[in-house]
Amino acid sequence: MTIFTFALKRIFKDKTNLIFLTMFPVAAIFLPEPDDWPLLPYGYHYFGVLILFVGIRLTGILVEDRQKGVVKRLAAAPVTHFQYLWQNLLAFAVILTAQCMFMIAGGVIYGHELYESWLLLMLFIVFSFTAIAISLAWNSLYRNKETSFLVFMCVIIIMAMLGGIMMPIEMLPDILEQIAVIFPTYWLAEGLDWIVMGEDIADFLLINGVLLLYTLLFLIIGSIRRID
Amino acid sequence: MKELYTMRFTALRLMRAWIVLLILFGVPLVLVTIFSIILGDVEEAGTMLRDEINVMMVLAFQLFGGSVVMNYINDDFFTKRRYRIQLLPLNTSVYGFTIMLVGTLYSIILGAILASYTALLWDVDWGNIAWSIFIIALMATLSSIVCLIFTFSVKKFNIAERLSEVYGIGAILLAGLIFPMPDHAVINWVNDYLNPITLSYDAIDAYRNTNLGDAWMNAGLLGGLIVITFITMLLIGRRRMP
Repeated sequence: MTIFTFALKRIFKDKTNLIFLTMFPVAAIFLPEPDDWPLLPYGYHYFGVLILFVGIRLTGILVEDRQKGVVKRLAAAPVTHFQYLWQNLLAFAVILTAQCMFMIAGGVIYGHELYESWLLLMLFIVFSFTAIAISLAWNSLYRNKETSFLVFMCVIIIMAMLGGIMMPIEMLPDILEQIAVIFPTYWLAEGLDWIVMGEDIADFLLINGVLLLYTLLFLIIGSIRRID
Repeated sequence: MKELYTMRFTALRLMRAWIVLLILFGVPLVLVTIFSIILGDVEEAGTMLRDEINVMMVLAFQLFGGSVVMNYINDDFFTKRRYRIQLLPLNTSVYGFTIMLVGTLYSIILGAILASYTALLWDVDWGNIAWSIFIIALMATLSSIVCLIFTFSVKKFNIAERLSEVYGIGAILLAGLIFPMPDHAVINWVNDYLNPITLSYDAIDAYRNTNLGDAWMNAGLLGGLIVITFITMLLIGRRRMP
């Protein structure tokens, strides 16, 4: 588990990461509760966007490794690519899971009405896995960490807008509303709606299933080894 | 005037930076398009929501225009090309100003294109388009100066970049664009007299409603902010510039 420990150490060495991982969720917990839309407090609605940001920041160390030639050296070392990948991904997943737990616990202690808080936690954790997988696949397209981050930032904004996180999906014109289904953020927004209003547990499982399917798909795309 | 001659190359450098173009132009273009499609002709309390949100959006992206100037000043004067620039037979301070000028102009041009795009294609009411572009120019100038203050006042450029993001996102948050702000005296005061985005929006909105006094007052406040920050920038910058 050496790579796992080192991944954790590298992530926590970066001070900006610490801000992303601690201050932003704390601020999100204290955001007010809206009047009509969204149904959950603002912070819990925008938390999905934050997860995507954290995901791309954390997976940035993989691009850095390629940029600096670490991947080449690893290829010569007695470590398989599979080990390198899963230990890094495990580190990211552990951090994001901890953040989700912190977020939900914070909301419950602060006194927000979170309806099914356990299921909400589950939804956020599943979405975190999706976020990690997307950013892994995204990063495999780039050789430069900064470029990858900046362009993904634009993609996140557009995904959040069209996916129904920043505004109600019903407001979009019909065509965009249909296209929105392909965004993982759409499924997160659906999940959040289910938490507040849902009855049939099968719907919730379907939403999580779709997110996990996305995770698998992007993991496959992202895990192809590129030595360049 | 060798310094003026360098402006051509700064402009060329800017045109080739496709990521800057994507963030400062591509994203707002997509966003205003989506907003225009979604909002259509929805009206709230007598004003068209489409007019309000599109104007706000174009103005909000002006807050980040300063990052261009900041990056070039850092590359040329503090990191990569520092010693080469110092060796050149030109006045480095004037060269710094030309970078600032070109970066600000670039930001203004992008803002003007966005404003014209929304006005022509989506029929957004900007009031007087020339006045709006003047306000956009004021915002771009202010943003460049504020970003330069950050660059000069901290040692690590990373921190300056983060501060500029805090400035931009902070102004957007305070203006209540993401979620409504509580009705608090301090927040209202900041929005009335300091927050560039609310000042410039009010200036454009007042002109649209033919309330020229208010329009000039808000523009004047923006101008005042520019003067104050410019003097601060000169004072701090003199210590750091090579």
